[in-house]
Amino acid sequence: MAEGAGTPEPIARLIEAFHRLPGIGPKSAQRLAYHILRVSPQEAEALATAIRDVKERIRFCSVCLNITDADPCAYCTDARRDGSVICVVEQALDIMAVERAGGFRGRYHVLHGVLNPIDGVGPEDLHIKELLVRLGDGEVREVIMATNPSLEGEATAMYIHRLVGPLGVRVTRLARGLPSGADLEYTDDLTLSRAFEGRQEL
Amino acid sequence: MAERPRTYTAEGVILRRRNIGEADSIFTVYSDREGKFDAVARGVRKTRSKMRGHLEPLMRSRFLIAKGRTLDVFAQAETVHHYRVVREDLDRAATALYCAELVDRFTVERAPQEGLYSLLLGVLDALEDGCGIAVARYFEVQLLALTGYDLALEACALCGSPLPAEETLLSPSAGGLVCRLCRPRAEGGRLLSLRAVKVLRYARRETLDAFAAVAVSPELDGELRTGLALMLRHTLERDLSATRFVEDVRRLPAAHPPPSPGGSVE
Repeated sequence: MAEGAGTPEPIARLIEAFHRLPGIGPKSAQRLAYHILRVSPQEAEALATAIRDVKERIRFCSVCLNITDADPCAYCTDARRDGSVICVVEQALDIMAVERAGGFRGRYHVLHGVLNPIDGVGPEDLHIKELLVRLGDGEVREVIMATNPSLEGEATAMYIHRLVGPLGVRVTRLARGLPSGADLEYTDDLTLSRAFEGRQEL
Repeated sequence: MAERPRTYTAEGVILRRRNIGEADSIFTVYSDREGKFDAVARGVRKTRSKMRGHLEPLMRSRFLIAKGRTLDVFAQAETVHHYRVVREDLDRAATALYCAELVDRFTVERAPQEGLYSLLLGVLDALEDGCGIAVARYFEVQLLALTGYDLALEACALCGSPLPAEETLLSPSAGGLVCRLCRPRAEGGRLLSLRAVKVLRYARRETLDAFAAVAVSPELDGELRTGLALMLRHTLERDLSATRFVEDVRRLPAAHPPPSPGGSVE
C-alpha cells in the first residue's frame, strides 16, 4: 500500500500494521489509524497494552492445547466438567462455538490444524501425540471428533479413529446434516444423503 | 459486435483447496475442456453459502464461472459425483488425494491433456466401486504415458534389445526397464521381480477395468509403488506431499468395524 510521501512515518507504519490484519483493506486501515490518532492517550495505551498482554500472557494449555492465560486452562481445571469425554476440535476458536451451543460438559483437545496431504500438513504437525497421552490413563471413555465436515476434517477424524481404536476408547463423530435455515434445493447430495441416514423420530 | 462471453461452464474434479481471507477459498480444478484452472469461491466457508458442499476436494462438479481480472470466480456449482465411499475410507481418500496431487503437478494451467480427465475419473470411480488402492499404479503408468514420459517396458530403454523374462531394473534416468548388460549405465533405480514387470506391462497395455480385475498383493504393490515413486520423483524433480500421507496411513493399525452401531466414525 503506497502512502503519500507527506504521510508522517508513524502513521504510515500504523496504517501498514492495520492493513496486515485479516479483513482490513487499505481504506479501513487508514480510517482505523486516523481514529487512533484522535482518541485519548489512555484509550490508545489500553489498546497497546491489550495487544502486548495477549502476546506475553497467552500460551497453550499443557493439557488440551487451548489458548489460556493460566495453565492448565479453565476447562481442564473445572471439576464440574466430565473428564471421561474429550471433544477434539481443529482450532481454539471452535471451543467457543461448542461452548456457545451449550450442552457439552466434557473436556477439549485442540489439534491446531487438520491433515492436509497435498499441502504437506501431516499428523506430526498436529497435536495428536498429546491426545494419545491423555488417553493413556484409562479415564477417558469417549473421544468426540468435532473437526469440520470437510475432506480434510473427515480425514483427520478417520486418522485419529484408526490410531485410537486399539486403545478401546469409543470414538464418535458429530452428526452431519442440514443446517437450520437451509434450503433443500441448494443442499449438496452428500449432505442430503447423510441427513436422510441420520433422520430421527419426530 | 460480439462481446467476449463473461462466463463459461466447466465440469471437473476439484484437486485442492486453499483458504483465503475470512470466508473465501481458491479451488484448483482439473476439467475436461479447460484443463487445470484456479478459481475463487467467495464466502464458501460460511454455513449459508449455496456452493458449500458442492465445492470440496475430490468432488466432481459442474461449474458456472465468471471471468475475473486476476482470478476467475465460481458463480454456481453443482455436484455430479461426491465419491462418498472414497472420502469415508482413509486408505482410499489418501490414494485419491495422491492421484489428485499427481494431476496438479503434471499439468499447467489451461492446457487440457487429452485423456487425462477420463483417466482421473476412471480411477476415482474404481476406488468408489471398491477396487483396491493398487489402481494408483495403473494411474501412475498411464499418467506418465499421457504426459510424454511413457515408460520403456517392452525392450531395454538404453540399448533396445529384448528383455529376458527375469528380474529387471526400472531406471528413472533411462526412462524404463533396462537390460542386465546396460545396468551399469543406468544410474540406479529399482530391481523389479518378473511378476512386477508383468503387472507394469499389463497396466500400460490394458484398460482400467482389466487392471482392476487383477489381484495385486500388498507386497507386489509395494514393489511397484517404490519403483514408480522413483520414476515420478525423477520426472517431477520433487517429492509429492501426499506420498508422506499415504505412508502415514499405511502405518496405521488396520481399520476395524465400529464397536457399536451409531456414533462411530466410519
